Amino acid sequence: MTATATPSRLVAAVALTAALAIAGCGGAARPHSAGPFAWLRPAAAPADWTVGRLPSGAASFAYPAGWRSIRTDPGTFSAALLGPHHRIRGYLNATPQSGAETLDNWSTFRAAHNREEGDRDVVRESAASGLRFPSGTGSCVTDRYATTTNAHYREIACIVRGARGTSVIVAAAPPSDWSRLAPQLRRSVASFG
Amino acid sequence: MIVRLLVVGAMALGSLTAVSGAVAADSPGHVTAHAARHHKRHHRRHHHGIPQHNGGDHDADNNGGPSDGDGNT
Repeated sequence: MTATATPSRLVAAVALTAALAIAGCGGAARPHSAGPFAWLRPAAAPADWTVGRLPSGAASFAYPAGWRSIRTDPGTFSAALLGPHHRIRGYLNATPQSGAETLDNWSTFRAAHNREEGDRDVVRESAASGLRFPSGTGSCVTDRYATTTNAHYREIACIVRGARGTSVIVAAAPPSDWSRLAPQLRRSVASFG
Repeated sequence: MIVRLLVVGAMALGSLTAVSGAVAADSPGHVTAHAARHHKRHHRRHHHGIPQHNGGDHDADNNGGPSDGDGNT
């Protein structure tokens, strides 16, 4: 009995190991579940946050208490945390897809576009695609740059394709405020959809 | 036959109009890669883009603030 049971157990063990290995490979096949955007998990925003929407209603994001909506381009929505002299300390913007940007070219488009708009020292830090958002799938980059007035910002910029269209969300803050504001910025981005 | 001739004539006239239109568009003599690029952007903005109003809307990215998500310039 022992002689026959052992090979069976071995077969079972090998099968289990193989199954676990395959399952592990399946997890590894989803490279965007970890890495620089591991924080991006669709989740409900805190109850005291405000929801800002595109005028078209195609997308929305939640922003923290203390932030306020600011002047923005027609058809878009922006919210900011303002410091002394109305200086922008934290910035969130949602914009409908409006140019040649796509989920496929986003990793190169965003930095190139920032340069085209006059930003300097644009450095892309990370990029990923196939990311999950509440309303669909997206591609994201993180980068940093200096504006035409030499203000320095770091940003998370994502393009998301949902059932109601494709839209972009940008979350930015000066590098000096990044560590403090990043958790809020990330949570806003994760609520986008 | 007359109908056929009329159709051919109309097609020929249409082609001439198209060609002359293209020539007229190119005639100013500033047809450079830059101009073409500009025109493409201008055209796209009219149809799909978000008007920037030459910075007159005073939003953040027109005043040295953070870049917004507008894919146009």
